[in-house]
Amino acid sequence: MILFSKHLKLSVAAVGGLALCAHGAQAPQHININQLSMTVEDVVVPLPNEIFGALNKLGAVNWKEHVRSDKGPNFTERPRIALLLGAVIADGFIAVQAEDAPTVKDIGQRVLALAKGIGVGNSITPHAKAIIEAADKRNWENVRQELDRTQNSVQQAMNEVHDEKLSQLVSLGGWLRGTEVLTSVVKQHFSTDGAELLHQPDLLAYFQTRLKAMPEFNLPIIHQIREALGEVKPLIDVGNAHIPAESVKKVNEITTRLGTGIVTRD
Amino acid sequence: MNGFAKILFRTSSLLAAFVIMQRASFASVDDAQSFALQAAEPYVKQGFQVREDYWGGDLASGEKKAVRQQLFKGNEYWFWLGTEADRAKVSVHIYDSDGKLAEEPDSWEKGHFAAAHIIPKTTGSYFIIVSVEESPEERTHWALVYGFR
Repeated sequence: MILFSKHLKLSVAAVGGLALCAHGAQAPQHININQLSMTVEDVVVPLPNEIFGALNKLGAVNWKEHVRSDKGPNFTERPRIALLLGAVIADGFIAVQAEDAPTVKDIGQRVLALAKGIGVGNSITPHAKAIIEAADKRNWENVRQELDRTQNSVQQAMNEVHDEKLSQLVSLGGWLRGTEVLTSVVKQHFSTDGAELLHQPDLLAYFQTRLKAMPEFNLPIIHQIREALGEVKPLIDVGNAHIPAESVKKVNEITTRLGTGIVTRD
Repeated sequence: MNGFAKILFRTSSLLAAFVIMQRASFASVDDAQSFALQAAEPYVKQGFQVREDYWGGDLASGEKKAVRQQLFKGNEYWFWLGTEADRAKVSVHIYDSDGKLAEEPDSWEKGHFAAAHIIPKTTGSYFIIVSVEESPEERTHWALVYGFR
């Protein structure tokens, strides 16, 4: 980070000029994807606001009706806290879309409490503070950035103590909540472009693989998610075909059920 | 007691050397990330949100790495690659799931920086191919960050 700050102090003009004096990239027009299979890195899971941004471009969305600010119960099982943490961070992005400052501030506090519950509170405290301050100033861009930093810091802190599986559950919790809202919006005003945003088969396969490697997390919600992803896969893995309204509705039912499961005590 | 002190000294020296080496190897990936972020900086002013998450590692000259990424139609993306090895040449290109080059013509490469631009025509998986084309180093650290708007 210190090094990054140092580099930022370099002349912006020099950096900006980089693209202008750069060479056009020469690349083969076609490659054999199958030959890459052994050297492919894991996916970076998109943030909910990446999907919400694409959704916004399809037409006005009433984000206020998707805001959720219930505090919910306190869990003691770390996998449950991780899933909930991911979902609450996604709720933060929804509240930003709705420009709902009080909810954003509540979510900042909630994220901090959950992070403490999972043992990574220290790395989150400055971000939670920054979220609350930015929400007070209604600086939505900063809130978005701090939510991203929060998720990144939580996951880095987990990875550092070899809790990669919990880190993956944070991503999964956020993805499920994002998909719940995406399908809810598309269900209300169906369009093929909106439904196409659900075309994420590799991401789904990634989560399925990760969940299979977590036999030690023997919790009902984990089993439910594992089964549910199997139900979702054929609905969104349609190749070049369009995803129909009926499939969007089914994915919404499944993700809403899971979302309720994540925030509710067994 | 003398023997114990010697063992203690040697052990702690070894530990210190190990810690320094570990820090050095992390620092290199961090350095690569700082260069990737440096390439991204002008685009932030154009409204691109740069993700905190990133990919990184090291590659030999001529070696490639593929990164799979879910992209959404409607968004616009830039991927920025950087390395701290200032005499290295790196490249980054984007292909769709059929292996067809999918990037915009304003994608660029300049020494130890490179960037690829895409406005996805469909929502789905894309492959970001990073490569160290030339480098004086045996292994060259790299980092790839991305932004969207």
